[in-house]
Amino acid sequence: MAIHKGLGFSAIEYPTGMNQNGDPSQAWIKIKPDGRVDVFAGTSDIGNGSKTIQSQIVAETLGVPYDWVTYDNSNTDSSPVCTGTFASRATFVAGMAVKKAAEKVRERVLEIASKELEIDPADLDIVDGEVIAKGSPQKKINVADVAAAATWTYGELLTGTGAQLKEYAAIVDPESGRVDLPPHSAISYAACAAEVEVDDETGEVTVTRLVSCYDVGRAINPTLVEGQIEGGAIQGLGLGVLENCYPYYPSVEHRGGQFGAYLAPGMEDLPQLETLIIENPSSDGPYGAKGIGEMANNPQPPAIASAVYDAVGVWVTELPITPERILRALEAKAEPRREGKLVAFDDELSINAVGSGSVRFE
Amino acid sequence: MKAVGARLPRYDGIGHVTGRTVYVDDVRIPGSLWVKALRSPSHNAKIVKLDTGPAEAMKGVHAVVTHKDVPLNVYGHLSALGIPGDEPLLAEGDVRYQGQPIAVVAAESEELASAAVEAIVLELDEQPALFDVRKAFDADAPQIHQWGNWYPHFEAEMDRRQIRKGDIDAAFDQADVIVQGVYRPAAIEHVPLETQVCQVVPEPSGRLTIYSCTQALYFSMGVVSAHLQQPLNRFKFVGGTVGGGFGGKVDTATETMCSLLALKSGKPVRWRWTREEEFLCSSTRAPWHMEIADALTKDGWILGRKMLTLHDSGAYARFSPYGLTKHSFHHTGAYTIPNLHFDGYVVFTNRVPTTAMRGFGVTSVSFATETHMSRVAHVLGIDPFELRLKNANRIGDTSPNGVTYTDPSTVPTIQAIAESLGHELPGEYRAMTPGKREGDLLPEHLVGQLGNPEAH
Amino acid sequence: MKLTVNGIEREVESAPLTPLLFVLRDELEVESPKAGCQQGGCGACTVLVDGEPRRSCLTPVAAVDGAQITTVEGLGSPENLAPLQQAFTHHYAAQCGFCTAGMIMAAQAYLDNWGAEDREMIQTALAGHVCRCTGYVKIVDAIAAVARGDSFDITITAESHDTTNVGGTQ
Repeated sequence: MAIHKGLGFSAIEYPTGMNQNGDPSQAWIKIKPDGRVDVFAGTSDIGNGSKTIQSQIVAETLGVPYDWVTYDNSNTDSSPVCTGTFASRATFVAGMAVKKAAEKVRERVLEIASKELEIDPADLDIVDGEVIAKGSPQKKINVADVAAAATWTYGELLTGTGAQLKEYAAIVDPESGRVDLPPHSAISYAACAAEVEVDDETGEVTVTRLVSCYDVGRAINPTLVEGQIEGGAIQGLGLGVLENCYPYYPSVEHRGGQFGAYLAPGMEDLPQLETLIIENPSSDGPYGAKGIGEMANNPQPPAIASAVYDAVGVWVTELPITPERILRALEAKAEPRREGKLVAFDDELSINAVGSGSVRFE
Repeated sequence: MKAVGARLPRYDGIGHVTGRTVYVDDVRIPGSLWVKALRSPSHNAKIVKLDTGPAEAMKGVHAVVTHKDVPLNVYGHLSALGIPGDEPLLAEGDVRYQGQPIAVVAAESEELASAAVEAIVLELDEQPALFDVRKAFDADAPQIHQWGNWYPHFEAEMDRRQIRKGDIDAAFDQADVIVQGVYRPAAIEHVPLETQVCQVVPEPSGRLTIYSCTQALYFSMGVVSAHLQQPLNRFKFVGGTVGGGFGGKVDTATETMCSLLALKSGKPVRWRWTREEEFLCSSTRAPWHMEIADALTKDGWILGRKMLTLHDSGAYARFSPYGLTKHSFHHTGAYTIPNLHFDGYVVFTNRVPTTAMRGFGVTSVSFATETHMSRVAHVLGIDPFELRLKNANRIGDTSPNGVTYTDPSTVPTIQAIAESLGHELPGEYRAMTPGKREGDLLPEHLVGQLGNPEAH
Repeated sequence: MKLTVNGIEREVESAPLTPLLFVLRDELEVESPKAGCQQGGCGACTVLVDGEPRRSCLTPVAAVDGAQITTVEGLGSPENLAPLQQAFTHHYAAQCGFCTAGMIMAAQAYLDNWGAEDREMIQTALAGHVCRCTGYVKIVDAIAAVARGDSFDITITAESHDTTNVGGTQ
């Protein structure tokens, strides 16, 4: 019996936004009489922190402290359309909607401030809740006072709306799959290395270390980005070695209907995690952000499969890589079929071996 | 103080750690009825008899809803994207997966609701079932869907998603080595800690307030609106605070049925799925079957790729055609491959319909193509970092569907990993950038695929 | 039956076999423990019964008649957060938050009964708690920090020791 160590790695990419797009997000912002900011957006926060990220974007764009911002995504009467939290779009697409709304309301704030200060709006900036004259910061007016003036002097509701909608990318030629526009808002990139230990007597694969590098464009909140990466790493580990709705796929027998029968990763599965974050900004995302939410669980399974090969010399290409599959592979010691220049693995899994219909892989 | 780039605390963080965050099941509505579903015990069967009378007659049971009560029972959730509907909200005439909802009841307690479900008379005529996507095309395969065993409504009514680029035959003729393999990642469950849950309150105004765990408030409202054939202002979706989703809470699995029960009973209703329902009856990530053959030069250029994908959609299409399309656009992964032949099928099987899960469509293709790259490196005897770096996307390269890359980060992310592992790359690989291909990085076979990064 | 919940004595009218989880949530309106699985498999329902962590979804209320029940509401409030609550906030140990109440109660029991700043021990003690969002790293960070005696600035979240921002490529 021996424990074998192995190292494998993968490099991936992932698109942001609904594929082919056409998924709108909208937001509207109003300012209360004391300058506090109400944001209405329809984005569900599923734990990813979209309430936080969008509030940060508004605070930054408007120039007010983060705790001046109230975020309301609670219902569809007050919030405008957001297609949803999926497709890694909450920061880019929905974030752009709130950014645009914040830019509009900023213009209104500057317009009122310019009347009060008698300075052209183009010569004004907003920093930490104060509208200040560029170059003469002693000439200033607090956003709270601007809001009061709007309410009681000028009779204006300080408000702004924003909508983000990437044009739909049509498949212009279904035979080739060519599109007329990019079907994504941005592409994020990642690479991941996995270290495993494989026990050749029990077949158990333990993932001991995951080293990842993610290009997220711009980390609006680095802690939240880490949270996505770490959560994704464990889900990727689960996909790679633990989880299966159908343990005897394609059979539907023996499904696990409770924890313990279905193996969701637990604390004791936690490997050593090291992460590098690169910021290669997107050209038109909010402050250069791209997306991270989904990609975070993609690079681990192939890195683990490659590490398993490195450890014990077998390729297991059916997930999850269970002890049973390791032991069967070690026993079979399958070699690829070689015919001329062809090196063919996994013949027994192919549709050519199992099916008898018109679709074949040739 | 800058907000963007700052490690500011979570907006809702204090609520989470003090137990004050309100999720759907925490909303208390007096007089709520409990909802339970009658679910198919069979994988594939015709419904011979469905009699809800005994359940409706039970004291404490306020409403039972079947397909007869649904104004539009079959509505394609992605019909706006040209994907026609095939899935009934409640089974009508047949059932095609174990767990499929046939009827829902609203009763005064959980026990009563369960008893009412038991009281419904259901007679089924079992049909042969199909579980293996590889056998779906066999002449003697059971036909398990009105469209045949695979989705036939891609553009131009094609029955597959297709990518063709360059000259695949020439690529395979010119290759020194061809490496072929099969990749099969499994269905996994989203496992959100909060199971599917919904509460619907009929308001005196005639509107419905729908407390929903959906990831997509407006998308789900659109679905309910379509099934009920009512305008959007009939509904007020309340939510936006979800106990985990991961793609499994876009399906709008509870809201429509609860709305129908609320309307029929005139009372608020509440449906919280058990963990068993969540594991066994909620939609899953799809299992995929992918076969890849790469045409390679002995010094590690990928001349061409042939790929066949069978996407196991389960019993109905749901979002599968969308997922397969996204998959096809990314089947070259982070690399530039000029000659392509991709065929992908959305295949029906008698299992719970599969849906989006974190990475939908691309998780599978990343697993297949990256494991394949490692195999290629092994067969050719080339360093796996070097193999990936030379083939990596660069500015001006084009994707499978003709998009030009403007700023790909494959090169720096690979270099960063190599460095952190202490893997010493030769000088020319350490010096690589994502810049436009030239010199040794622009062999003849990559010239034709170049595009204009300014074009879009 | 009687329960003392977060220091307040409450009368219980629910039937004796009603799980403590639903007595708390439905009768007594203490909603932090969650119905994650009702099978004892996830830990989201965990409360302290006389200081011991228990799966309230599997505990019939009659079995704990007269006991002291502590939930996260009793640990601290927004105005007065307990160290563990501060740690979870500062270390970003909660994302969707659904597992958090149960996780915090089990962590509190670990700190009260063992308390070592040992990541392996912490992971073993909380091995029965499922979190799908965080990947557990920051949960362990938070608990270890309390064990270590750290104080917390909750106006900012902690930087991970596992992550480096290498900055822009342009």
